[in-house]
Amino acid sequence: MRSITKLSLVVAALVLTGTTLQAQTNNASITATATVQTPINVVGAQQLSFGNVFPGVNKTVVAMDLANAGRFDISGQASTQVTLSFTLPATLGSGGNTMPIVSYAGVHAQNSTQTGGIGFPPSVGASPSLNASGQLWVWIGAQVQPATNQAAGVYTGSIVMTVVY
Amino acid sequence: MQTMKRKWWVVIAVVLLAVPLRAQGRALTVTGIRGVTFGAVLPGVPRVVLRTDPANSGQIDIRGPKGPVLLTFVLPVAMTGPGGALMPISFGAGDAGFSATQAIGSQVGFDPKQPFTATVPNNGRASVFVGATANPTTNQRAGAYTATLILTVTVL
Repeated sequence: MRSITKLSLVVAALVLTGTTLQAQTNNASITATATVQTPINVVGAQQLSFGNVFPGVNKTVVAMDLANAGRFDISGQASTQVTLSFTLPATLGSGGNTMPIVSYAGVHAQNSTQTGGIGFPPSVGASPSLNASGQLWVWIGAQVQPATNQAAGVYTGSIVMTVVY
Repeated sequence: MQTMKRKWWVVIAVVLLAVPLRAQGRALTVTGIRGVTFGAVLPGVPRVVLRTDPANSGQIDIRGPKGPVLLTFVLPVAMTGPGGALMPISFGAGDAGFSATQAIGSQVGFDPKQPFTATVPNNGRASVFVGATANPTTNQRAGAYTATLILTVTVL
């Protein structure tokens, strides 16, 4: 009888052990990753300057004109593509007088001397990349078309460039 | 003596029986398939990855015995970046999902911050998907950030 009891205990222990072993646990890990970009900074570094303009005589400042073309300096994430878009005025104003701007031209380059610069139409925009130091330069040229009876005065307008990754 | 032998045969028989019974259940394996990928993040702009995002959500596959399992996450509160910089990461109440079909489009959402009981189907395969939100500060240092999520699965 005792032997049977002992045997029963052994069997019960084995069954319980077996049951306990059935509870399985395992785990795995995954990573969360993110890359924080350097914020884009844009500076209007140089005004687009037509200088003196005479009534009835069109005046053009080409985008390659390092002295007179408008220039934007951009900094941000190195070697990263950005999208450039522009709000371009159709006229310059002086008081109540206006003077048409009939065309625009743009150049972007990864250096301040326009070496290897690429031309683009500002009305369409462009998608250049910042250089390895995270910099990009953009120049804007345009042509004004003063009327033959254009009123004398200082005419101004604003060109806005928007840069996004 | 013969009685003793017989008893031990009984014991051995029970052991042998117990082993096959255990072997009927598949071994539990848990495998990290895909991490949570936030990609490019701008300072000050939170980035959300949904658990239903097939490209960027995290995925962990489970293989094991059919039946109930307990899913328990260990979640980070921040990702670590350059120079030890930290970027907060958060998990919403519906940011984890269990799929008995391993299809990202067929999930039962649950809170990854709480243990969740799910049922592994007859084929012994299931998946857990997870999303999260990265919360970069306005002056978050640029660079790559990482953190580890751990899922523990216990067969019930």
